[in-house]
Amino acid sequence: MIGPAVHVRSPESGESNRVLAYWAPDETVAVWNNLSKGITEVERAPGGPCPPHLRKAWAVPPAEPRARCVGPLEQVDGYGVFTFPYGPISMGVPEAGRFDVRTYGERVLDIRPQVGFKSRRILGSLSGLSVPDAALRIERLAGPFAAAHAAAFLAAAESAEGRSIAVRDAWTRAAGQELQRIYNHVHVLARIAEAASQNVGLAQAHALAEDLLRLTAATFGHRWLFGAFLPGGPPSHLAPADRGPLRQSLDLLTQRFERLWATFQDSRTFLDRIQTTCAISRDDAVLWGAVGPTLRATGVAWDDRLRTPVPPYNDLFLPLATEPTGDSLGRLLVRVLEVRSSFLLLEQMLERWPRNEEEPVAPAAAIAPGRGIARVESPSGDLVYDVTVTDGRVTRVSTRTASDANWPLFTLGMRDAVFTDFHFAWESFGILFAETDR
Amino acid sequence: MPSWLQMAWERGILTTRYPREGARAEEVPVTGRPPVPVSALDHLTEAPARCPTGAITLEAVDQGKCVRCARCLGVGFTLSGPVESSEGRRADLVWAGGLPGAQTNDGLLAELGRSVHVFMVDVGSCMACNLEVLALSNPYYDSQRLGIFFTNSPRHADVLVVVGVPTDEMVEPVRRAYEAMPAPKAVIAVGACPISGGVFAGTGGLKPSLEAVIPVDRFVPGCPPPPIAILHAILATMGRSRTPPGGR
Ligand code: SF4
Ligand code: SF4
Repeated sequence: MIGPAVHVRSPESGESNRVLAYWAPDETVAVWNNLSKGITEVERAPGGPCPPHLRKAWAVPPAEPRARCVGPLEQVDGYGVFTFPYGPISMGVPEAGRFDVRTYGERVLDIRPQVGFKSRRILGSLSGLSVPDAALRIERLAGPFAAAHAAAFLAAAESAEGRSIAVRDAWTRAAGQELQRIYNHVHVLARIAEAASQNVGLAQAHALAEDLLRLTAATFGHRWLFGAFLPGGPPSHLAPADRGPLRQSLDLLTQRFERLWATFQDSRTFLDRIQTTCAISRDDAVLWGAVGPTLRATGVAWDDRLRTPVPPYNDLFLPLATEPTGDSLGRLLVRVLEVRSSFLLLEQMLERWPRNEEEPVAPAAAIAPGRGIARVESPSGDLVYDVTVTDGRVTRVSTRTASDANWPLFTLGMRDAVFTDFHFAWESFGILFAETDR
Repeated sequence: MPSWLQMAWERGILTTRYPREGARAEEVPVTGRPPVPVSALDHLTEAPARCPTGAITLEAVDQGKCVRCARCLGVGFTLSGPVESSEGRRADLVWAGGLPGAQTNDGLLAELGRSVHVFMVDVGSCMACNLEVLALSNPYYDSQRLGIFFTNSPRHADVLVVVGVPTDEMVEPVRRAYEAMPAPKAVIAVGACPISGGVFAGTGGLKPSLEAVIPVDRFVPGCPPPPIAILHAILATMGRSRTPPGGR
C-alpha cells in the first residue's frame, strides 16, 4: 500500500526536514528533502505495511481499501455540526472522488477528501509486463501528467536495469514535460476563472489550453503525450527542420499567454477573490511535506529540476519561482512564473539542441540490484517512482505522486474557510484524484 | 472591461466549421483516428503480436480495444480511419477485414428536438477523457451553438457521458446516476476504458466494460477520443450527425 507524504524527524540530523515516505508490503521508503543542506536522501527501512509513528498522523487504510480518507484527522463536533458529502459524482469536481465536509452551515470546520472510488489497481497489474508495456499503463495513470509519469517511471526502470538512453531521448522527455506543464498551469488558470465566473477570461484561457494541446499533438503525435517517449510510439516532429516552425508557434503562444495574464491582472475582483483564500503557512507546508507550486508558494525554493538535475536541465537556465503568501493567489502566481520559465526552457532547448544526439546518457545508480528510484518535477510537484525490474520484466512498482503529498495542505487550508472558497482553493492545488486512486 | 473585449476581438472567431464541414487536420491528431490496414489483414501477421491490447487479429480490428498506441504503424497499418467512428452497437466497432462497416445513426433522442443536456460521470478514468469532454465547451468546439449543454445534475440530463473503466466502487454511484435520469435518455461510453477496459482490461476489481453495469447506447473509440469524435457521438444520438450542407 502506498501512503501519502508524512513528516517524521530526520534520524541523523535531528532537524526538521521534509520527508516523503511511502510504504510497500515489506518495507518503508523515505525520500528526504534536506532543506538546509539542499540535498536529497533516500532511506529504506524493512518493516510492516505502515510503521506506527506514521500511522498516528494518518488514517491508514485497511488491507484492501475501499473509499478511504486522506489528510490529518481531527474530530470536530458541536451543536448543529453535520457532515455534508460532496461527490463521488458531481460536475463541480469532474472526477470520481468525494469530500466529506464537517460544517454547521456556511463555515467549513473540516474537510475530508475520500479517495479510492476510482482506484484502477494499476501498480499491482504491472508485474510481469515488459517496461514499454507497463509504461502504457503508467501514462494512463494520470492523463494530464502523462509526460511526468512516463519520464519518472522510465528513468527508474532504466536505473534499475543500468540501461542508458540517447541524449536525444533525454531532451525529448524534457521538452514534452515542459509543454505539458504549461498546459496544466493554463488549465488551472481556466478552472479558477470558471469558479470566478470570469467568462470572457475563461473562454480565452480555455482556447489557449486547446492551442497547447494542438501544438503538443503536432509535435509529439498525441494531445496528451501518450506513447511519445516509448519505442514505436506516435510519429513525432522534433527534427531540425521542425524546430523553426515549433519555435514560431511557441512565440505566438507566449504572446497569447502574456496578453491573457495581463487582462486577468487588470481584474481586481478576480485577484481579490483568491487572495488570502486557503492560505497555508510555510511551517505547515514543510511539516506535511508539500511539493511543487504548493510548496513554492510558501516561499520554499525547492524544485526537482534544480535539486536532482539530469540532462538537459543541468545545461539550461531555469529561474526558480517562489511566492511568500501561501494562498490561492500565491499558487497561481507561481504557476504563471512557471509558464514563463517553461517557455524559456523550451526556447533554450530548441536553440541548443545537442549535435551529439546519439551519445548515451548514463542512468542514475541503482539503489539495489535491479531496483531504481527516479524523481521528476511534475506540474503539481515532486513525483517519485521506485521500480524493480527482473530479467526485463517489471516485478514491483511504487510511487508517491504530487497529489498524495499535497492532500493534507488542502485540508489544512480549508479549515475555517467558507463553502464558496472551495473551488478557488481546490483548483489552485492541481490535485488529481486519478494520481492518488491509481 | 475593454481589455477583455479587445482580446476576444483580436482572436476573432475560433469555432470549428464542424459539423457543417468535415473535421480539419489540426482538429484531429494522428492518434485521434482509428488504425486501418494498408493491405489484406491476413497478410499482416506481425501486427497481432505488436498490439498491446489484442485489438488486431487476422480477421478483424476491434476499435473498441484499440488505445491508439501507434505500435502497429510500422507493420502495415496507418492511423487514418474516420474520426467519426462511434457506433450504436458494440459489435459494429469490430471492423471485419479492418475496414469500417456501415455507420449507425440511431437518433435515439431525436424526439427531444434541437437541444440536449449532458451530464458526465467518471467511473475510473485517467482524467484525459474528462478533459476532452469538457473541451467541448471551449470556443473551438462551442457545443452550445449546437444545442448541447452541460448540466450539474443527472436529474436534468438527457445524455450520460461516461468516462473511465468502471471500478467496483463506482458501480453503485453510476447506476444511481443512470436511474435518476428522466426518460428518454442515452448513455455514451467515451474512450477505450468504458468500452473494453482499454490498457487495463483484465485487472481484478474492474468491470470488463460499462455495458456490464448499465445499458450503453453509443460507443466512442479512442484513448482519449478527440473532442470532434465526442461531439459527433452526441449529435448522432440526437439524430443530427448527417447535417445537410448549410443547415444547422
Ligand atoms: S494503435 Fe491500436 S490496433 Fe494499433 S497496436 Fe495500438 S492498440 Fe493495437
Ligand atoms: S480511455 Fe484512455 S484516455 Fe480515456 S480514461 Fe481511459 S486511459 Fe484515459
